[in-house]
Amino acid sequence: ARAGAAKARVVVIGGGYAGATAAKYVKLGDAAIDVTLIEPNKIYTSCPLSNEVIVGHRDIKTLEIGYDGLKKRGINVLHDFVTGVDRAKKTVTTQGGKTLAYDALVVSPGIDFHYTGIEGYNESMIEDIPHAYKAGPQTLLLKKQLEAMPDGGKFVIVVPKGPFRCPPGPYERASLVANYFKHHGKTKSKVIIMDANDSHSKKGLFNQAWAKLYGWEKEGLGANPNGMIEWVKGAEGGTVTKLDAKSKTVSSDFVDVKADVLNIIPPHKAGKIAADAGLTGTQGNNFEKGWCKVEPMTMASAVDPNIYVVGDSCVAGEMPLYGNPNAAFDMPKSAHIAMTQAKVAAAAIVAKVNGQPVPNPYYANTCYSVVGDDYGISVAHLYRVENGTFKYIKEGSGVSMMTLPDKSPVPAAYRKLEAEYAAGWLRNVMADSFS
Amino acid sequence: LLLAGSAQAELNVSGLANTCNNCHGTGGVSAGESMPSIAGLPEGYLKNIMMEWKTGKRPSANMTRLISGYTDEEIAALAAHYSKLPWVPAKQKTDPKLVKLGKKVTEKCSGCHGDTGKSDDADTPSLHGQWSQYLQLEALKYRDDAFNMPNKQMVKAAKKLSDEEIKAVAEFYASQSK
Ligand SMILES: Cc1cc2nc3c(=O)[nH]c(=O)nc-3n(C[C@H](O)[C@H](O)[C@H](O)COP(=O)(O)OP(=O)(O)OC[C@H]3O[C@@H](n4cnc5c(N)ncnc54)[C@H](O)[C@@H]3O)c2cc1C
Ligand code: HEC
Ligand code: HEC
Repeated sequence: ARAGAAKARVVVIGGGYAGATAAKYVKLGDAAIDVTLIEPNKIYTSCPLSNEVIVGHRDIKTLEIGYDGLKKRGINVLHDFVTGVDRAKKTVTTQGGKTLAYDALVVSPGIDFHYTGIEGYNESMIEDIPHAYKAGPQTLLLKKQLEAMPDGGKFVIVVPKGPFRCPPGPYERASLVANYFKHHGKTKSKVIIMDANDSHSKKGLFNQAWAKLYGWEKEGLGANPNGMIEWVKGAEGGTVTKLDAKSKTVSSDFVDVKADVLNIIPPHKAGKIAADAGLTGTQGNNFEKGWCKVEPMTMASAVDPNIYVVGDSCVAGEMPLYGNPNAAFDMPKSAHIAMTQAKVAAAAIVAKVNGQPVPNPYYANTCYSVVGDDYGISVAHLYRVENGTFKYIKEGSGVSMMTLPDKSPVPAAYRKLEAEYAAGWLRNVMADSFS
Repeated sequence: LLLAGSAQAELNVSGLANTCNNCHGTGGVSAGESMPSIAGLPEGYLKNIMMEWKTGKRPSANMTRLISGYTDEEIAALAAHYSKLPWVPAKQKTDPKLVKLGKKVTEKCSGCHGDTGKSDDADTPSLHGQWSQYLQLEALKYRDDAFNMPNKQMVKAAKKLSDEEIKAVAEFYASQSK
């Protein structure tokens, strides 16, 4: 190498939880590696716990963080947008007209939405029909609409077919909106979840909490006349195929539901740049098409050994988690797992640059959901790699207790602790990636 | 034997610790008030409580579940790893009135926790500069029969404390960041 030149150049596309963590941990692993993070926004807004913002439990400022922490570590932060990747030349180009060469490239642009699929719906409508699934102005818009909704109104959440980021996210949102109704004298109002799926994350725990807090009895549209939450599964009319934007009416093959506040979460795909770079699958099921397949040991792209795809853009593993091959095929898309993926990729990059063997990777997830006052629940997943494939570790995974081991109800103190831990977890994930 | 040897070689303790640091902070130094810093705690204590979680002797809303996915060797390696990292007191504001009360109340704790929460005992965790909220939540668990915490001496000590005293001892230890 030239005297004074960096040992290697690592470029990171996207400064979310995944990209920020990758940049930081490459630098921590070997300070002699030159690391450049490219991200258009100067301030990142965390999606985790943004549902609390919608219902007024949390100030959005507590979810915001800048890139000074990473700069202090010697990482170059370029506020720009990547428009192209030349895999043969190993360069990326940006909207601002820069071209950067890399030895290793980390691709972590998060998700983009498919705005097709619901007749009558398109991207231009999100100023009136927010998704609030990228935190920021969308979150505040949904908050405003909730606050303006009269008592007796319907708050409708349209959930796309999986995979989508934060599998418990829509149900956490429904819980907190019901909690909002309770606290604001709007108890005649309802949250209706129109779900394209037939089951969901932490279902037992959510149903238990809803029964305890929000008058839930059973599934189905109109099934809980005295309750505030209704969940309509795909097989029973939950799959929305049509929208009348003017009246905010969504329709499936079975039912029409007129909303007062309409929150459509569109189906997801890997961030556009991942597809443009040719890293996404072009066929197969929902979990393969549109997402980036990776090597279990390193998080390297299955199609390019110099590129690592971490965070929501990747599809990591093909292990049916809940026994239903269509339910949850891969690692959940969460900030927590995005960070462990990024740490694995960082360690693999540092090892490669230094000619060392690939360190054994470990992947872990935790998603806390706050579902009411002093009421938190969580799910954890642990994965290892055995014989070159992802292995889901059942011990070390699972949801919060439904009952104590002797079948008695879980004391409220446990649920309160998890609500407190959710807030502490947020501070730590933000600091572990951005500080 | 060969297999055991290669499995040994593969144990990547910093990689393992990376799965903990999401919640416990970079290098085990927590940035979240409800989450404990674990860097610099005594090895014996770390190993003991992780094994208590794993064997179901120690209730926890999260840790029992998570730790069951780690082998005994990995737990020992993690305990050794974190115990060698420096103890970094959390930067936090404390309420002087509660700190004063806490100082008085913790006179009966000093036999085990020292005057400031800094203990030399291998089985006793450091409390000086730990997050106040975490200490408070933990003390409440020792006091609450719903948790049935295994260390009966601590249960006995905590049961003597009022709600205000629990806040006060947490604030006192949190303020002792030396
Ligand atoms: C309501 C809600 C609640 C959630 N709650 C939780 C939770 O409790 N726990 C949890 O673990 N996860 C939660 N999540 C999921 C979590 O937000 C995501 O999994 C996480 O943000 C993924 O990180 P990422 O870095 O892959 O993507 P992102 O955080 O989306 O970051 C991607 C970044 O890349 C940038 N980018 C995109 N394209 C380009 C380009 N071409 N050039 C440069 N930059 C680009 C974007 O600007 C963005 O900053 C929640 C999500 C939602 C919506
Ligand atoms: C999802 C969050 C989460 C993850 C991941 C996590 N922990 Fe914890 N940990 C907690 C919480 C919450 C507590 C405090 C409550 C308790 O003790 O039950 C805790 C407590 C602890 C304590 C007790 C500290 C003290 O002062 O007594 C230790 C030690 C610990 N964890 C070690 C680990 C290790 C090692 C790992 C990784 C293998 C890990 N934790 C992963 C959430 C987590
Ligand atoms: C007889 C010894 C003894 C006495 C007396 C004692 N402690 Fe403890 N304390 C311990 C031990 C040992 C632990 C670790 C216990 C365990 O493994 O569960 C502990 C744990 C704690 C913790 C949790 C720390 C953590 O990081 O999880 C707090 C808080 C605490 N003690 C506060 C007090 C207070 C306040 C008093 C007095 C009112 C007190 N202790 C009295 C021995 C003692």
